[in-house]
Amino acid sequence: MWFCAIRRHRLELIPVHEMSWTPIGPPQPPPPSVPPRMPVAFTGSRREFFELVKRGAGLEFVTLGFYRFWLATDMRRHLWSNTEIDGDAAEYTGRGKELLIGFLVALAILVPVYLAYFLVGLEAERAQAFASLPLVAFFYLFGQFAIFRARRYRLTRTVWRGVRFWMSGSGWAYAGLSALWGLVVIVTLGLALPWRAAALERYKMRHSYYGDLQGSFEGRGWEFFKRGWWLWLLVPVAVYIVPLAPFIYGAYKAVEWRWWLSGIRFGGVRLESTLKRGALIGLYWKVIGWIVVLGLVFAAWLALSAVLVASMSATPLKELFASQEFARSIPFLVFLGLGYLLFALAINVVIRVYLMRDLWVKVLGSTIVHGIEAAANVSARGELANALGEGFADGLDVGGL
Amino acid sequence: MSGVMDSGANTAFYFDGTSSKRRTVVLHLGETLEIEEDGQRIAAWPYADIRRADSPSGKLRLACISAAALARLEIRDAALAAELVARCEKLDEHMLGGRGVATIVGWSLAATVSIILVVLFGVPLAADRLAALVPASFERRLGEVADSQVKMVFDGKPCDNPAGQRAFEKLVNTLRESAGMDTSVQSGVFSTPIPNAFALPGGRVYVLDGLLAKAENVDELAGILAHELGHLRHRDGLRGMIHNGGTSFLMGLLFGDITGSGAMIFASRTLVNASHSREAEQNADSFAIETMHRLGRRPSRWAN
Repeated sequence: MWFCAIRRHRLELIPVHEMSWTPIGPPQPPPPSVPPRMPVAFTGSRREFFELVKRGAGLEFVTLGFYRFWLATDMRRHLWSNTEIDGDAAEYTGRGKELLIGFLVALAILVPVYLAYFLVGLEAERAQAFASLPLVAFFYLFGQFAIFRARRYRLTRTVWRGVRFWMSGSGWAYAGLSALWGLVVIVTLGLALPWRAAALERYKMRHSYYGDLQGSFEGRGWEFFKRGWWLWLLVPVAVYIVPLAPFIYGAYKAVEWRWWLSGIRFGGVRLESTLKRGALIGLYWKVIGWIVVLGLVFAAWLALSAVLVASMSATPLKELFASQEFARSIPFLVFLGLGYLLFALAINVVIRVYLMRDLWVKVLGSTIVHGIEAAANVSARGELANALGEGFADGLDVGGL
Repeated sequence: MSGVMDSGANTAFYFDGTSSKRRTVVLHLGETLEIEEDGQRIAAWPYADIRRADSPSGKLRLACISAAALARLEIRDAALAAELVARCEKLDEHMLGGRGVATIVGWSLAATVSIILVVLFGVPLAADRLAALVPASFERRLGEVADSQVKMVFDGKPCDNPAGQRAFEKLVNTLRESAGMDTSVQSGVFSTPIPNAFALPGGRVYVLDGLLAKAENVDELAGILAHELGHLRHRDGLRGMIHNGGTSFLMGLLFGDITGSGAMIFASRTLVNASHSREAEQNADSFAIETMHRLGRRPSRWAN
């Protein structure tokens, strides 16, 4: 998990997506005969969120990661309950225990699946070396299924004005759709990405509800393409000039957020985003800066522990490295593991503060809600979904989007 | 906030949990918490059933366990909120307090300790027992898979000098018969400058050309081959697989990544396996020494 710390964060980032249509803020004085435009407010303090993730990282360290279910829950609760739409804050009603149970159930299902995967792979390899690689496709499907079901869990735990959001649809149908579009994207070298995103969002939003208000997605692949095609052209450049990559990625994410939010509908409620292309680039650079700093600290820690181990075993440092003895030295491996854990946890804190909280606030700040009066008297509907999808997503280490 | 607030001190917003309608209500703090709209009582919440729901700071949001699950009462007046908090004794009972966190930490540590114990003592035992239960045909199948991968890695370039081949086979056969192993043992030489030899599960021994070039006499080569035959005899390949798989899986459980990848898992597995493989190597060495003695040859310094 520590190894996958960064990938895991994408998983925790999905709620940003799920949430963004919920928020709306204190109404502006309505200009006569124009429908009210309603911004979304975020009332949480940065300090409070930082304390929350700092404490959470400490507890993750002590529990070797088991605390992650409760930390994810606490972060969502903070973000949801500080997001106000039309003067009323949202609420996240999920609990850490549900995530833990979801993880355990997913484990019970995944273990035999892995075993079967191993045996099938064995047969395939016997016929032809490395023939089992296509089986990876099976896990891709499983991952997409997990993304859909995890979204359903989070949505059914999202409450606004005493009415919950919920979802219908099938996780496997979604996985199939996603895989087919994935093939098209590969064949077109990524050019079809906007149309894939539009098709998948249409499926998800068509099956999303707020009470009896059905969602829909009006974003077109073509619009996304028009806004982002130049970024696609720049990708090969970024491979050679690496410092360009955060600019391109930041701009891509901003374009994607804006297009995505502006396409969301719930009945007569319509979202609009005014997010600027360059709005997120600063956040990515701050994260990179912190990772560099933390990486230097980690390197210094490793150097220090190597010197320490060398002096303990009375071997000259040069010999220790030449003989590769250090890779087997138990004290060195313990130092390495400890340092790595702390390094990964510190990066987790940085990513959560900048790419979850700050990103959330920036995106919310750009969001305007039109026609909120359509949500003034919505009847409650929909059942709670279980956290199995979250468990699969955790076990398979997949992120959404 | 949104200008809907009444001037009355005891007003609050009420959502009944069946509709998203925001209702402005008046609260009466009597025997129970009475909620009135337009002078009509629409709900009464016993104080003992009232729980705190998440809300932004400065607003108190309440739920009631005996009312609709999502019914919410929102109080924005600080004095009224304080009075209600004083009356509702079990307001925060459902929250994860210090004791709840201690429980999570305690059980996590317990789980960690038991996983470590299983890895250290259970997995080696299970690998020994399970390896004996795995049918030879399955082991051969594993070997075939490894074999095709190995052949691909070395570009499928076996040495095919007929005279060398015959001499090599003769040497292997002598060792095999002396060790009392059957004819299922296969062997071969790959042409690559790396000096190494290895055994695959299911009875395959491979020597790399680099080793043949480096060996000074036939006894050295025989010692190495005998060592690899020792691994075959003890089914170390299969045992190692079960051992590695089990350890990765359990370590993965610990660190929350059941796919068994990840640096932490790799590092901790290295620690555990170092001791295990040392034992296997020693056993293969003693096997090689015995076999060489039986043939009346001196085991060479290379046999480790």
